[in-house]
Amino acid sequence: MSSPKHKLCEESFFNSFYLEHVQAVNNFAFYKCGDKAASLDFVQDAFAKIWENCSKIDFTKAKTYLFTTVNNLFLNTVRHQKVVMTYEKEKPYMDRTNLSPEYLMEEEEFKQKLMSAISGLSAEQREVFLLNRIEGKKYREIAELLDISQKTVEKRMSGALKILRAKVEEIKI
Amino acid sequence: MSKEKDILKWFEGEISTEEIKKRHSEEDFSTLEKLGFYAKQIEAPKIDAQAALADFKARNLKRTKPKVVRLNFNSVLKVAAVLVVMLTSSYFLFFNTNKSFSTHIAQTEIVYLPDNSEVILNAQSKLVYNKKQWKQKRILELEGEAFFKVSKGETFTVKTEVGAIQVLGTQFNVKERINYFEVQCYEGSVQVQYNAVKTVLTPGKSFRVVNGEVSPAADFVSKNPSWLANESSFDNVPLWQVIAELQIQYNIIIVADNIDTFQKFSGSFTHTDKNIALQSVTIPLKLSYKIDGENVTFYTYEAN
Repeated sequence: MSSPKHKLCEESFFNSFYLEHVQAVNNFAFYKCGDKAASLDFVQDAFAKIWENCSKIDFTKAKTYLFTTVNNLFLNTVRHQKVVMTYEKEKPYMDRTNLSPEYLMEEEEFKQKLMSAISGLSAEQREVFLLNRIEGKKYREIAELLDISQKTVEKRMSGALKILRAKVEEIKI
Repeated sequence: MSKEKDILKWFEGEISTEEIKKRHSEEDFSTLEKLGFYAKQIEAPKIDAQAALADFKARNLKRTKPKVVRLNFNSVLKVAAVLVVMLTSSYFLFFNTNKSFSTHIAQTEIVYLPDNSEVILNAQSKLVYNKKQWKQKRILELEGEAFFKVSKGETFTVKTEVGAIQVLGTQFNVKERINYFEVQCYEGSVQVQYNAVKTVLTPGKSFRVVNGEVSPAADFVSKNPSWLANESSFDNVPLWQVIAELQIQYNIIIVADNIDTFQKFSGSFTHTDKNIALQSVTIPLKLSYKIDGENVTFYTYEAN
């Protein structure tokens, strides 16, 4: 049978599907768990599931299936893992003209506080916040990706911002 | 509430930093601005897609074979059997091409056949023919009495329990009642087959079988059988046959225990008035009758 349903079973088709989505789904997994190695493991496991069940999966829904599987795999693991995130190196500070050592110190300190605040977010809030920040995704796109409503995305984003702001300012004071 | 919405819009890039500061001038957005800015710099691990794929292939995954469900021949046969039964029964139910017409007591019916031949059914008669085969074979079955006006064409056959009548195109009357069989030819020629003996009738001739014996009948001159004019005519016919016809035309039961029903009757009776009809049969035979509802008793008035 050569119905589109079973296209995923063809190796060449599966390979291109893999290459197309591996980066995005890995980012997604990373925002969720905050661990480089663990996220790649989730991703590979999710692709393995698709490969094994290729004949049962409608390929038009394969992308949703991939993200949902990563999500489920994450939920199945121990939730309180240490979030290990880093900033990209050699990125400019907000005020590019001010290069005084004090300012740089302050900014580095802020970044540390922010990182610890992000680690403290729930996985749901963190994934929404980072998908918005790092990938510049609209709330609607995030909702589609996570298969939830846009209202939920906005709620999580608002929650995340409140917590982050409170934590960063509290430590500041 | 609207501030919260505006912040969401701001983070989505829908409104600019200047815009939100203008809208909510009392609020200090510097922290949010800063955390929004630096959060963008968080590093997402770059994946070497090809290497990851190679890694993935090295896992040597087993693929679950799609389940193959064998066709269960037993159930297929069951379904097929049910289908066969349903199709054959529906064939006989819906594709039955036999056309059937019948009349009740005191009723006549005109039937037009596919070739424009006309059949007039007398009371208590039944006519059956196969619509589908009509073009090949003009065959019909008759019980009772009917007058045929046959269009010219192939052989036209009327089958009765007693005998078969074959014509090409003509007018004739067939009367097949209990122990009585009569064919009268009005036009053309009619071939009657009775017990393997074939008789050809010309107009004005009759062929009559009474109680299984061929009995001679006088010629007639009328153009149509009298029953078409709501009258039954008899020529030298045993009384019991006349009584049977009376019963059919008027839906009555005639008791004639004490009289000779084998005596011959010549004459006719009308189909429209029961008393006149009974009189026209009884008076010439020196009989009388009594009506009691549906029962009519014949008796000889000499005896009373």
